[in-house]
Amino acid sequence: MKVVVVTRSGRELIKGGLELDDSATVADLQEAIHRRTRKYYPSRQRLTLSLQPGSKEKPTVLHYRKSLKEYCCGNSDNLTVVFKDLGPQVSYRTLFFFEYLGPLLIYPIFYYLPVYQYFGYKGERVVHPVQTYATYYWCFHYFKRIMETFFVHRFSHATSPLSNVFRNCAYYWTFGAYVAYYVNHPFYTPVCDLQMKIGFGFGLLCQISNFYCHILLRNLRRPDGNGGYQIPCGFLFNIVTCANYTTEIYQWLGFNIATQTVAGYVFLVVAASIMTNWALAKHRRLRRLFDGKDGRPKYPRRWVILPPFL
Amino acid sequence: MASFSSVLRRVYLTLYNWTVFVGWFQVLYLALKTLKESGHEHVYDAVERPLLLTQSAAVLEILHGLVGLVRSPITATLPQIGSRLYVAWGILWSFPETRSHILVSSLVISWSITEIIRYSFFGTKEALGSAPSFLMWLRYSTFLLLYPIGISSEVGLIYVGLPYIKESEKYCIRMPNKWNFSFDYFYFAILVLGFYVPGSPHMYTYMLGQRKKALAKSKEE
Repeated sequence: MKVVVVTRSGRELIKGGLELDDSATVADLQEAIHRRTRKYYPSRQRLTLSLQPGSKEKPTVLHYRKSLKEYCCGNSDNLTVVFKDLGPQVSYRTLFFFEYLGPLLIYPIFYYLPVYQYFGYKGERVVHPVQTYATYYWCFHYFKRIMETFFVHRFSHATSPLSNVFRNCAYYWTFGAYVAYYVNHPFYTPVCDLQMKIGFGFGLLCQISNFYCHILLRNLRRPDGNGGYQIPCGFLFNIVTCANYTTEIYQWLGFNIATQTVAGYVFLVVAASIMTNWALAKHRRLRRLFDGKDGRPKYPRRWVILPPFL
Repeated sequence: MASFSSVLRRVYLTLYNWTVFVGWFQVLYLALKTLKESGHEHVYDAVERPLLLTQSAAVLEILHGLVGLVRSPITATLPQIGSRLYVAWGILWSFPETRSHILVSSLVISWSITEIIRYSFFGTKEALGSAPSFLMWLRYSTFLLLYPIGISSEVGLIYVGLPYIKESEKYCIRMPNKWNFSFDYFYFAILVLGFYVPGSPHMYTYMLGQRKKALAKSKEE
């Protein structure tokens, strides 16, 4: 079969098109494009069916697993696909590794090294126990995240745009430095012992729960990262759609109860609002998908992310 | 019911736009009068009350965008109004030493001319359903000159204010305190100056896009 690959402006990407087997899949087409263009490796390509000019519909994105025949009109042997360059891509593991590595390295710098003398604080620094525990807690959290990235998470999308690395690193690294600056400050005022124990105890409990939530989510996906959407169930997922985000938010709340800094609470609010957006989108998607019609299960009534508020 | 709410919306926006227009007209009149009679050192003292009042009234524009009364995106209105409020209250009102600078005159005049045109344009549009073409042209062309003057004056005044901000330690919060928080207004002012670097071209190109769209539309009609 013949496949014509055009850009969104209508220019032919590969002159004369491509000749492929009748049994070829979208993945084969992507490989063929890659062989001819070199620059555009498969994960950098987004292929869609061409639309009529002036059409307001969303274009159909070609799924790499499907056969090209499925996208042909009738029994035609010709197919025109629209190519979009998604830009340089990196694997999600690389993205997560670098965004979590920053806070893991930056925070201890403020704790162990005499950085505050460069901010004009000349005196001897008294280190409070809460500052030590906070450093261990923080480093454990980001070490856990890195380990989960490599050994627990299964990704439905293989790659992410390279620009996301810079954006996400800016977010995590800046907040890492911002929180570390105040928690390790020479003029830091610690909370009472009981408040510290409650905060770190609750936070640690949430971190362990978060790890278990990630294990449950991992088991919903096949090892290759596929398996489509399923209704998460078990443990906190029986009451909350995004229990992984719930435990993430509450473990930062624990950290902030123990350390009591405005910077920490700012980080908590920003992170919670980002995760709430993701959770609302996922909740809507699951409810739309599992509507109880045509033999599909009905999505149960659950909190979205933050019981008892949302 | 829907028609009543749309009438109410139009009446409110007409009143709002013309009220603020009067405020800015007063600012321009007082600024030019003082500039002619007493020189640029006294411009701020003459316009302080109407300037702060009308500039603060612009906060309602952000609310209008948020509740959907107007279509203008919050990403365009928030930085513009935010920066102006910061200069008006955070620099000129807070640090009297900056008030006698020549840049205050260029700032006040560029702001007021821009706003007189803008509010009369929107006021006419809300009241009559459309604005005359000359007003449309002014609305989408005068910014080409007035924006750079206004932005340069804003940046200049923040820069002029920096030594006074540092010296006075006004609005600073120092550690130790219960919430382990500190705030240095001097560094905040530098941060605001930093935001002007990407913010100014963004606003200018946004307005150029709006101009292209609006003038093309008026040609079609």
